[in-house]
Amino acid sequence: MKRYDLIVVGAGPAGLSAAVEAAKYGLKVVVFDENANPGGQLFKQVHKFFGSKEHKAKIRGFRIGSQLLEEANNLGVEVVLNATVAGLFQDKEITVRIKDSIQHYKGDAILVATGAAENMVPFKGWTLPGVIGAGAAQTMMNLHGVVPGQKILMLGSGNVGLVVSYQLLQAGCEVVALVDAAPKIGGYGVHAAKLARTGVPFYLSHTIIKAEGTDCVTGVTIAEVDKTWKTIPGTAKSLAVDTICLAVGLSPMAQLLKMAGCIMEDNPKKGGQVPVCNAYGETSLRGVFVAGDVSGVEEASSAMIEGRIAGIAAAEYLGYIDKAVLTEVAEALESALSSLRQGMFAVENRGKNIEKTDEGYVVSQHLLKKGYFQDAEVEKYPGVTRQPGVHAVIECSQNIPCNPCQDACPRHCIKIGDKITSLPVVDETANCSGCGMCVAACSGQAIFLVNEGYEAGYASITIPYEFLPLPGEGDRGWALDRGGSKVCAAEVVKVQTAPVFDHTSLLTIKVPVAMAMKARFFKEDNCHA
Amino acid sequence: MNSRIKEHPILGKIEKGRRVTFSHDGNIIEGFEGEPISAALKAAGVMVHRHTQKYGAPRGIFCAIGRCTDCVMVVDGKPNIRTCITPLAEGMIVETQYGVSAKSTNKAEGMA
Ligand SMILES: Cc1cc2nc3c(=O)[nH]c(=O)nc-3n(C[C@H](O)[C@H](O)[C@H](O)COP(=O)(O)OP(=O)(O)OC[C@H]3O[C@@H](n4cnc5c(N)ncnc54)[C@H](O)[C@@H]3O)c2cc1C
Ligand code: SF4
Ligand code: SF4
Ligand code: FES
Repeated sequence: MKRYDLIVVGAGPAGLSAAVEAAKYGLKVVVFDENANPGGQLFKQVHKFFGSKEHKAKIRGFRIGSQLLEEANNLGVEVVLNATVAGLFQDKEITVRIKDSIQHYKGDAILVATGAAENMVPFKGWTLPGVIGAGAAQTMMNLHGVVPGQKILMLGSGNVGLVVSYQLLQAGCEVVALVDAAPKIGGYGVHAAKLARTGVPFYLSHTIIKAEGTDCVTGVTIAEVDKTWKTIPGTAKSLAVDTICLAVGLSPMAQLLKMAGCIMEDNPKKGGQVPVCNAYGETSLRGVFVAGDVSGVEEASSAMIEGRIAGIAAAEYLGYIDKAVLTEVAEALESALSSLRQGMFAVENRGKNIEKTDEGYVVSQHLLKKGYFQDAEVEKYPGVTRQPGVHAVIECSQNIPCNPCQDACPRHCIKIGDKITSLPVVDETANCSGCGMCVAACSGQAIFLVNEGYEAGYASITIPYEFLPLPGEGDRGWALDRGGSKVCAAEVVKVQTAPVFDHTSLLTIKVPVAMAMKARFFKEDNCHA
Repeated sequence: MNSRIKEHPILGKIEKGRRVTFSHDGNIIEGFEGEPISAALKAAGVMVHRHTQKYGAPRGIFCAIGRCTDCVMVVDGKPNIRTCITPLAEGMIVETQYGVSAKSTNKAEGMA
């Protein structure tokens, strides 16, 4: 039987970060993952991540995964893929299924970082081919280059539902409806807004009555629900779709820990049954650690920090470092962790009705129900100013752990401050050059450049654009408002792409000046507009 | 209907193995070597992978990561192969699974 100092189960951000940290202190580490690709959830994510620079914000998910893997490889960590850990026993022995064989390994310490599994929700017809999990949609389109369908209904308005819907649009699918039984959008407003402006309709307080079709999905019936989640008679409507995508939450995959005899707790705020653990991620079994979504569903940024803490703690447990070193390093990491865990989407705020931001700005109910602001609401936020020349207009209105916009601006026009969840503020005294770095850096695609003095009677608007085909200069079409409705004809006057923008193109369109604070997306139409 | 993404705005051109042919319920279909069998079927417009034993209800791709077993088919005569995690190879014989076997290969089952 092979022996290691530390055995890590799961090569997601938590597991890889732990492996890297432990290897730095000299531990002999192996990582097993049942997937053919390392990186866990990250591998399927093509969007720019939230968080701060230290936690790889602004970098696209799949690149974070490969960076972590490279670090691990450089430190001599063994990463074994296509290897499912089937058993974990009290004496820190594990059984691993590789191809058709079962192998045994022993670790002096174990870290379980198995992440979370998707929840499902039954409705009439839910087993029909064409009903798929959101993760399956991502696997099909982002790993295998095959779209799951042409016309899609997404169920679930949390970040996963919103992000995957956007990825479906990028893959060339039509998202016919985004449906959620809750009365409010569960994910970040900025993620909802980038869907809404392309014209995706949101149906909050709606649920699926049934999937239609005999051999596969050919349509879906949805209906409105009241406060008690009962369907309201007479509200049913049929939509033609070929795919129903489910994004109804994640639950920690903690079976291995339960099997090993760790003390577990049911904690709805953490997404279900999780092992009880201390601040270093150590469970009730000495030397068995957890990190990432398996110990409570959160984000990749927190998973990476938890992983590092657990990796260092394992080094201390095995005597590679002193307790004092652990306390010192862990303290710094924990303070980073708690700064990420602030804001409206913090675990303790789940399910609460938050009406104002920390700064006292009123939260837009229209944003929470329809996915976009009403015109009059936008201008009160501190990122939205009216200035004579070109300047950034930041439509970011919630306290979320994110700040790449602040770091991006070479002229210091954008201020968030030390508290990462604060709203971005545009400093009117700073002098914006119109370079567009902020537009490309914003993970939420919530920053636009507006120049109301572009030309007599016309304003220019620069928008982030991540679709194909990319329009060219001189192309004509329609300017769409935040809700995706056509508001006026528009002409593309500039298209910028650059390696620093990392596949986000900047499209500058010209619109009548009265539309400067309305036009937020462009739809090409050279024949009519 | 083409379900293959030609070029992705972020990922660019998606790299694939060599083009191969395989058979699905007797029809010859093209796919790319090494991609999951299910991806090649999806690209060819095949939705139904199997019918359940009890009610004959159709099933297709659901999780795409080998967890749910909805996508199992008879591959080269072997039933219960999870097509979403089994790489495609030249000349594979893929058949819709009815219960636990292929209709065409198991006469006894068909008569029962
Ligand atoms: C659509 C979507 C968008 C997201 N966007 C963001 C974002 O913008 N910013 C952000 O910070 N976070 C984001 N997240 C969340 C983030 O991806 C997760 O929180 C993070 O990946 C959790 O990391 P983890 O290492 O705990 O688990 P995972 O990434 O889930 O990795 C767990 C790994 O363990 C493996 N595994 C499980 N069981 C076994 C076993 N028995 N044997 C072997 N291997 C096993 C799995 O194959 C997997 O590779 C997003 C998530 C999704 C789904
Ligand atoms: S366009 Fe450039 S200078 Fe202006 S706010 Fe954005 S990053 Fe700063
Ligand atoms: S504006 Fe800043 S804080 Fe808001 S989503 Fe964009 S990068 Fe993040
Ligand atoms: S689709 Fe779930 S196992 Fe293949």
